[in-house]
Amino acid sequence: MTPRPSFSKRLWSLCCSLKLAIVLASGATFLAMAGSLVMHFNPNVFGAIDQLTLIDWWQTRGAAHLRLSWWLTLFATLVLLLGINTLCCFIDWLGKIRARWRKLGEYLIHLGCVLVLGAYIWGSFSGFRHDSVPLYLNQPYPIGGLPGHYLRLDHFEPRLSETGRPLDMRSRVTLLRGDQQLAATEISINHPLLWRGLVVVPVSFGRDVRGFRFFQPQRGTLDLATGSRVDFDSGSRLTVETFYPDAMLRGDRVIKRGNRLGEPAMLLRLEQPGQAEWRGWYFLRGPLPYPLVSAGIRIRPTQPLFRVYSVLTINYDPGSRLALAGGILIISGIIIALASFYRKRRCGDHPDIR
Amino acid sequence: MLQYQIPLLYLAGCCYLAAVLGYLGNLRLASRRLAGIALTLVACGWLAQSGSLLLRWQAAGFLPVTNLFSTQFFFSWSLALTYLYFDLRYRIGAAGLFVMFVNLLLIASILPRDPAIPALIPSLDTPLFTLHIIFSFTGYAMFTMAFSIGVLYLWQQARPTRQLPDLVLLRKLNEEAVFLGFCLFSACMLFGAIWAYIAWGYYFSWNIKSVWSFIVWLFYAGMCHAKFVRRWQGRGYAILSILGFAVVLFTYLGIGLLLESNHPLD
Ligand code: HEM
Repeated sequence: MTPRPSFSKRLWSLCCSLKLAIVLASGATFLAMAGSLVMHFNPNVFGAIDQLTLIDWWQTRGAAHLRLSWWLTLFATLVLLLGINTLCCFIDWLGKIRARWRKLGEYLIHLGCVLVLGAYIWGSFSGFRHDSVPLYLNQPYPIGGLPGHYLRLDHFEPRLSETGRPLDMRSRVTLLRGDQQLAATEISINHPLLWRGLVVVPVSFGRDVRGFRFFQPQRGTLDLATGSRVDFDSGSRLTVETFYPDAMLRGDRVIKRGNRLGEPAMLLRLEQPGQAEWRGWYFLRGPLPYPLVSAGIRIRPTQPLFRVYSVLTINYDPGSRLALAGGILIISGIIIALASFYRKRRCGDHPDIR
Repeated sequence: MLQYQIPLLYLAGCCYLAAVLGYLGNLRLASRRLAGIALTLVACGWLAQSGSLLLRWQAAGFLPVTNLFSTQFFFSWSLALTYLYFDLRYRIGAAGLFVMFVNLLLIASILPRDPAIPALIPSLDTPLFTLHIIFSFTGYAMFTMAFSIGVLYLWQQARPTRQLPDLVLLRKLNEEAVFLGFCLFSACMLFGAIWAYIAWGYYFSWNIKSVWSFIVWLFYAGMCHAKFVRRWQGRGYAILSILGFAVVLFTYLGIGLLLESNHPLD
């Protein structure tokens, strides 16, 4: 009677078992089939899943809707086990490489799969995704998740078709660490900025109202936006503390309703020599506040001042290059496996039966 | 020149129809000559379809594969090419009946439709997309071939006939079609993933189309292994090939037609 193999041997052969791989892959396939439909019909839970890393999504949405998302945990577990199974199978082959080097192609495919899976897990835990971030010209945007790193939009130009349909958007962006420039490029559709796992892609663009142009009799035009300061000949000084494109009065407070042009309003401060300072709201559709009139300031709003911004997605996935390496390994393995498949066919070889 | 695209497509359709009739005749009469004529007809049909494809490609300036008409056109072209490969290599004769019939259905369903090529939207304007589609449909064509051979395998088992290849050859062909399909589809996944990364900033998306593409890939990866397990050889493999084709059909047509996805069909 042959002695029963030790527990560790039996465990290892289970880990390397082809049948286990088939069971795990079948389980994952059936779960993904059903789960994909659950995802499709529950966009309120799964709609934003691509806008976050899998872990962030799980923490913000998935865990809160366990009744709809439990299958994803099981699916991830099965795929993870399949990955471990594949890795064990690869290590087992490495141990027998002298006798089984002809299987190089097949085992490169396996190693590639393990790398891609490892990269995805790495990226899900250590990466981040900032979806649809508005970037204004020359206003560095601090990249949350990469302390000290900023993205600056240096130039922006939308490309429109003859009918005015947006076709593409070209944004010249610079990536900075403090004052040091790390990368600079023009990004457009299918031409992202790539830097060590960071990828910046264009999403769309927009414009918002940053202030208003006023007409001053005998003086021409005057542009006012948040932070503007104007000194008049009479010695008075007008400062715009805040500008809301759409504001409303609630009680005695003025609140911002949104970024679209609606009821524009400005919080103004008027300083006049020898007089007390005045501070108050000016709703541009209404009359000019009395203190301004009495200070001799005559201004009339004529048109909004727009500011164009580029909407970009800023994702960071430290595993992306490993995933690419895995993908290339899979394809190289496939080319070698194809060659050996046809060589075997020529020799009249058939798959072994396990 | 573009005006010739439809006559060429009709010519291809007629050749494929005649080839199907030829294979049917071959099945009854077991005539080698008839099988040879049918193969020549498939080759002529494929050349005519290639001509039509080239005209459309030249007129558009890109490989036209962005709507249902164009993808079915390309699918049918890949299927005929796949069949030619198998017949030229293994002389499978009447075994081509089924796959050429599927091809005929594809062609017949597009002939009455509008062949206009829609303008290319900017995100599709990259060679990565073209490669993604080429490998996807050549992969699908191999899976369709595996499906037809699977059906014939079951047929041959139930009602053995000398007009069809024997079970051993059918099993070999089935395994080869699945393996080649898996290789092509892996390339499709790689190019698709790189494209998604540069276009959207992530290489795997959880939208339903991408998930089902992953399912197709995993399913056929599983099949590449199933041939090593005695219980799944032959008959089991034939059944899996048929099931796999259902998964492919749902991924290609079902999602676009039944559900809304970011890969819609017109
Ligand atoms: C996602 C995971 C996997 C993929 C994509 C994959 C893919 C492949 C492919 C394409 C082949 C070549 C088949 C052929 O020659 O027709 C193969 C062969 C093989 N795979 Fe996998 N595989 C995976 C996981 C595994 C696992 C977990 C095992 C562990 C047991 C395994 C064991 C084998 C074995 C033993 C062979 C046969 C090699 C030979 O020809 O002797 N595979 N695999």
